[in-house]
Amino acid sequence: MSERIWEILKNAFFRILIPGIKVTIPLAVLSFAFAFIIALAVALVQFANVKGLKQLSRFYVWIIRGTPVLVQLYIVFFGLPKIGITLTAFPAAVIVFSINEGAYMSESLRASLESVPHGQIEAGYCVGMSYLQIMRRIVLPQALRIAFPSLGNALISLVKETSMAATITVVEMFRAAQQVNSIYIEPLWLYTEAAFMYLMFCTVLTWLQRWGEKKLNAYGGVK
Amino acid sequence: MLLKVNNIHKSFDGNLVLKGISLEVNKGDVIAILGPSGSGKTTLLRCINFLERADDGELIFDDVKHQLNKISHREISAIRKKTAFVFQNYNLFLNKTVLDNVTEGLIIARKMDKKLAREKAIKALEKVGMADRLDSYPIQLSGGQQQRVAIARALATDPEIIYFDEPTSALDPELIGEVLNVMKDLANDGMTMLVVTHEMNFARNVSNKVIFMDNGQIIEENTSKGFFENPQEERAKAFVQGIIEQRAIKKEGEK
Ligand SMILES: Nc1ncnc2c1ncn2[C@@H]1O[C@H](COP(=O)(O)OP(=O)(O)OP(=O)(O)O)[C@@H](O)[C@H]1O
Ligand SMILES: [Mg+2]
Repeated sequence: MSERIWEILKNAFFRILIPGIKVTIPLAVLSFAFAFIIALAVALVQFANVKGLKQLSRFYVWIIRGTPVLVQLYIVFFGLPKIGITLTAFPAAVIVFSINEGAYMSESLRASLESVPHGQIEAGYCVGMSYLQIMRRIVLPQALRIAFPSLGNALISLVKETSMAATITVVEMFRAAQQVNSIYIEPLWLYTEAAFMYLMFCTVLTWLQRWGEKKLNAYGGVK
Repeated sequence: MLLKVNNIHKSFDGNLVLKGISLEVNKGDVIAILGPSGSGKTTLLRCINFLERADDGELIFDDVKHQLNKISHREISAIRKKTAFVFQNYNLFLNKTVLDNVTEGLIIARKMDKKLAREKAIKALEKVGMADRLDSYPIQLSGGQQQRVAIARALATDPEIIYFDEPTSALDPELIGEVLNVMKDLANDGMTMLVVTHEMNFARNVSNKVIFMDNGQIIEENTSKGFFENPQEERAKAFVQGIIEQRAIKKEGEK
């Protein structure tokens, strides 16, 4: 590696990392939080068989999972202004990633809810609990524990997915790398450097996920 | 009279499973419900406790009459607060400790004071010999221990009647005894119990009445003494004989 490249990489380091910390992470975390709320609602109305809302939920999951996230980004950021809804890039990205990830996460939450042994719901009724009490105290805690690894995976893929927001002008880590590259024209090295930073972020998240799983297991209870 | 059901009908997808069942339970009764597999015993208990909705029939509980096919949530929940159910496969809350399994119905469903609930729960757990495992989780217990906790959970709510659906059928043979002993204690204390079981010794020695079901109907209703010593119906006779023979074969096999 030549002296020059080394200099470029050093120069670029913070110019890529800072947008990573300031934009990529908040974008991923915010989207994840909203996605989780959406997913929980969507999974619950399906699990509880709420007429109407259940069909609506299936429809939502069908649409979102059947279309590329890149296209969804374009529709929201470039398309919606045509009908008078103009969003700046960051909120547009948060909305799209939340709605998109929410659809996938709702499926894993739904599966987790279904996998909680059903007899406990009946046992809850028999000791006099209401459906809501049973859901809140018995079923959901178990379902979330079961869903934890897949929720962790969802967050990790979301971190990488946010790079697509570059296409709608959000200056996150990847777009920052593109900008640096437009000065030095060293795509191999600079994009590898960006890749390395994604890798670091995801590695930390993987550690957190393992740690969380251990904590949950130590707490006993469900297999 | 504590509980009376009249003419319960229930079908699943056009398959008539209960064909007009009527029975009466007095305070202190221990009634064994016997019958071959598929005769509708579980369905009967589930209809009485509203885990299934019966198509027709009425239920009189504490002198209040309810139409089973149009009973409201409010009525259901009022009756459920006075009854308890013990399942074949325990159905303990897997995310709760032994103690919390028992207090849940008191603190959450009945809004009982936490300290009082804890005392009550410990008393119930002592009764079933599980008070030394308060902080264990269900998966850390044997089947027999789980079932005893389930009985404590039922007991702690001071029910007027406890329904049991084959409480020992999922247990390894060596664990059946500990659960039956607990049930026998309850019977001796005067607890009213409606017990679906294949344990002939329990039916004969602990229960005071026997109901024999086949094919969605009650074939014979008798005192337990009468049923075992002098069954009236051929099918009941054959059934009792069959169970005794099965036992003998199993014992033989274990040797
Ligand atoms: N949820 C259900 N849906 C469809 N059919 C059912 C359902 N529950 C029970 N049945 C049918 O109803 C009949 C009676 O079943 P039930 O479980 O009440 O019998 P049981 O006397 O308890 O038998 P076992 O001794 O095997 O427990 C059976 O033919 C069974 O297949
Ligand atoms: Mg049964």
